[in-house]
Amino acid sequence: MNTTPTLPIPISYISGNYYIFSVDAATYLRREHHICGVLIGTLPLIPQQNVFLGMPLELMPEEARLLVEKGVACIVDEKKAHNDGIKSLLEEDRKRYIQDLESQGLHARRLQLQRQEQSREEALRKKEEKKAAKMKKSAEKQQQSPAAGDVAEENSIVDFFAHNQQKEQGSGSGSSSSRPSSIMVDEPYGITPTTSYPPLSEAFSDKLLPAPDVRSSYPLFAHLHSKGYFMSPGLRFGCQYMAYPGDPLRFHSHFLVSSVEWDEEIDLMDIVAGGRLGTGVKKGFLLGGAERKAEVSEAEGNESIRMFSIEWAGM
Amino acid sequence: MADADEAAIHSSSTPSTQEDTDLDDETQDFRILNNLTFARILTGTSLSDPSNASLPRRGEKDFEPNPTLHQADILSASRNAMHNALAHPRLHFPKARIIAVYSPDGPTPPPAPKNPEPSSQETGSETPARGPKKGTGIVIHPDACAYVINPKGQHFKSLGQADSWGRVWLLPEEALYLLERGTLDIRWPCSMTGEDGEGPSELPMSLQAAYTCFIGRDGLTVERFSVFSGLRRLGYVVSRAPGWYDSEEEVTGAVQARQWPSINGLFGKFWDWFYSSNSTATGPVAGLGIHRSYNDIFRKLAIIPWYDPVTPKPPQRTTPPFRVVYHIYKPSTTFKKTAPPPPDFRVAVINAQTQPTIPTLSQLGALLESTPLDPPRGEKMSRLLYMRLRHGYRNVVLAIVDHGVVSYLRMGDAAFGKERIYDKGGLNGPKKGGHLHPKGNGR
Repeated sequence: MNTTPTLPIPISYISGNYYIFSVDAATYLRREHHICGVLIGTLPLIPQQNVFLGMPLELMPEEARLLVEKGVACIVDEKKAHNDGIKSLLEEDRKRYIQDLESQGLHARRLQLQRQEQSREEALRKKEEKKAAKMKKSAEKQQQSPAAGDVAEENSIVDFFAHNQQKEQGSGSGSSSSRPSSIMVDEPYGITPTTSYPPLSEAFSDKLLPAPDVRSSYPLFAHLHSKGYFMSPGLRFGCQYMAYPGDPLRFHSHFLVSSVEWDEEIDLMDIVAGGRLGTGVKKGFLLGGAERKAEVSEAEGNESIRMFSIEWAGM
Repeated sequence: MADADEAAIHSSSTPSTQEDTDLDDETQDFRILNNLTFARILTGTSLSDPSNASLPRRGEKDFEPNPTLHQADILSASRNAMHNALAHPRLHFPKARIIAVYSPDGPTPPPAPKNPEPSSQETGSETPARGPKKGTGIVIHPDACAYVINPKGQHFKSLGQADSWGRVWLLPEEALYLLERGTLDIRWPCSMTGEDGEGPSELPMSLQAAYTCFIGRDGLTVERFSVFSGLRRLGYVVSRAPGWYDSEEEVTGAVQARQWPSINGLFGKFWDWFYSSNSTATGPVAGLGIHRSYNDIFRKLAIIPWYDPVTPKPPQRTTPPFRVVYHIYKPSTTFKKTAPPPPDFRVAVINAQTQPTIPTLSQLGALLESTPLDPPRGEKMSRLLYMRLRHGYRNVVLAIVDHGVVSYLRMGDAAFGKERIYDKGGLNGPKKGGHLHPKGNGR
C-alpha cells in the first residue's frame, strides 16, 4: 500500500482533462504530494450511490502542472498512446496478458469461494453458539449452580475454535490448501482491468505533452499547496478552491480561496458575499494573488503572494 | 412535490440525511466503507442494491492536524480503507458475464456470411432488451459505438438499442457507465488488435481505455458523462435530448406554448382597455372615478408591466452550453425505451471552466423557452403560493460541473404578476416574508 510507483507518473490527457487511473499512483500522490484530485468514477463495490466514488481521479490543470513542475509526473496523450499501442501490440504480449488476467481471475474466484465458505462456517458457528446459549439458559433455569461451570467450559471451546479460524483467515493462502472442501476451481472470473499498462508498454517518449496551461490563479494555488494545504475545486462553496489543513479525508477545510489579480478592482459585494458565505460554513474567505513588485530580486522569482482572510463580523 | 423531487436530485441517495449539508459535499471517510464492503463480500456478489441497506453516516473529522500518533493512525487507516475500496477489481461472474464489443466506426451489421454467435445467444433466455420486433429495421443511433452480444439484466431496460440481430447497441456514455460499474466486459474488436477473425477479441478493454475511447466521442464531454453517471447512480433514467447536438433545436416547447395563452392574452387586452380608459399620467394614480372595492384600486395601481411566461413568444435560438442535453426520468416513472414518456426533468450541462459566468437573461430565457410549458398543478400547488412561485411555469435544471464536482441548480420561470395577492386577502403560504427559496430563480 505504501508503495512508490515508478516516477514520473503518467497523467492521462483525454480530450481536455487530466486523469490518474492507477490506484497506487492516486494513493501515492495523496500521501506524498498532497494532491487529492476528484474521484469521478463509479465504485464497483457499491455502484448505486454518490457518496463514495471510484477511479478515475480527475486532476485540475493546476494539480497536473504542479506535479509536472515537481518532476513527479508527465502528461501523456492517452488517445495517441492507445491508438498506437493497441495496433502495435505483439501477439505473444497479448496472449501473455490474457493468461495473466485469467490467472488473476482464477485467484479471485478462489478467494471468493473461500470467503463464502468462511461466512458459512461463521454462520454455523453462530448458530451453535446460540444453541449453546439457549442450553445454558435452560440449564440455568433447571439447576442453578452445578451446570454453569460446564457450559462455561463449552463456551471457551467455541471461543478457541473461533480463534483458530481467525488465525486461518490471517494466514490467507495457506488455509485454502488445508480446506479440501467443495471449492470447485472451474471458471475464472472475468476481469476488467483499471489501467491499460500492461498490456501497453510504458514508453511514452513520443506521446508526451507539455505542462498544462493554467488559470491566473495558479501562483496562489501553488503557494498554498507549498504551505501544506490540500486544495480541491471549490465552486460548490462559491469559490475557486477549498484549502484543507490536512487530508480532506480527516479534516474540514479552513478556507474558501478566491484568486484576484494584483491590480484588479474587487467588487465590495464580492467581499461581503464571500465573507458571509465563508463564515456561514465556519471557514475563512481568503482572497489572494501574486504581488508584482519591480524591485523583487530575480532569485526569488518575479512574484510573491499576498493573501487576506476575511471573516464576517457583522453585528 | 417539487420539494421532494428537488431534494432527491440535490441530496445524495440517502433518505436519512437530516443535516442540511449533503453527504457528498465533502470527502467522506472511506473507513466507513469497511463494514459495508466486508458485508458485501461475505454475502457474495449479490446484485441486490446495497445502497438502501445502510449508507454510512457522516464521519467525524478533526479541526486541524496535530503531531499525535493517534491522528496519524486514523489517517493512515482512512487512506488504507480508501485504497482498498478503490483497488477492488471489477469482476465478472462467469455465468453472468455480459460481453460487449467496441465498434470504433459506429453501428455496423454483423459479419455478413455467418453469424453463429448472435443466433446461439438468441436461443438462450429471452432478454428484456429485445423489445422491438426483429427485422423491422430499427435505426440504430449513429453515435452508438459498442454492441452487447448477450444482453441480460435490468440495465438494458433503460439502456441501449436492439438491432435486428439481437445485439444491443450502446451509446458511448452508456457503455462507459456499465463498464465503470463493473457490469459490462467490453472487448477490443479483432480488427483493432490485429487478431485473426471477426468480432470480439479476447482482450478486455480497461477502464482507462474506455475513457480514452468514449470521452470526447460525438459530443460526450466528461462533464456530460459525470452528470449522466451521477444521476444513473441515483437511479434516474437518463437519455439524450435533441439539444445534445449543436445543430438541432428542441421545438416541443414553442409548439405547446401556443395553445391557450391566446385566450389569456385576449382577456388581458380586454382588462387593459377597460381599466386604462382614463390616463394616470395626470391626476391620481388610481385614476378618477368611483371605486367600489379595494381590489379595483389595486388593479389600477398595477402600473408596472410584468412578465407573463404563458404568453407565446417567437422561438429563440438557444446557445450552447445553455441547452437541454438530457431528459431525466424519476426511478418511479415507467420508462419504455421505444416510447419514452415526457421527461420529469430537463438538464443542461455546463462546464464551469469554459463558462465561468452565470447565463445572461436572454440565454436563460431561450433555454427556458425551449422547455414545454409546465404550469403548477395539483391541490398543493393551488393552495400554497410559494410552492407555485418556486415551481414556475417552465423549469430546467442546470448541472454545473467544476472539475468533476457537480452542482445542480433548478431554474423556474416564476410569474409574480399572476399572483394577485390582494384577491386572496393576504398571504397563505407556508412562511411569511418575501424571499424566494435560493434555488428558485424568479425573473
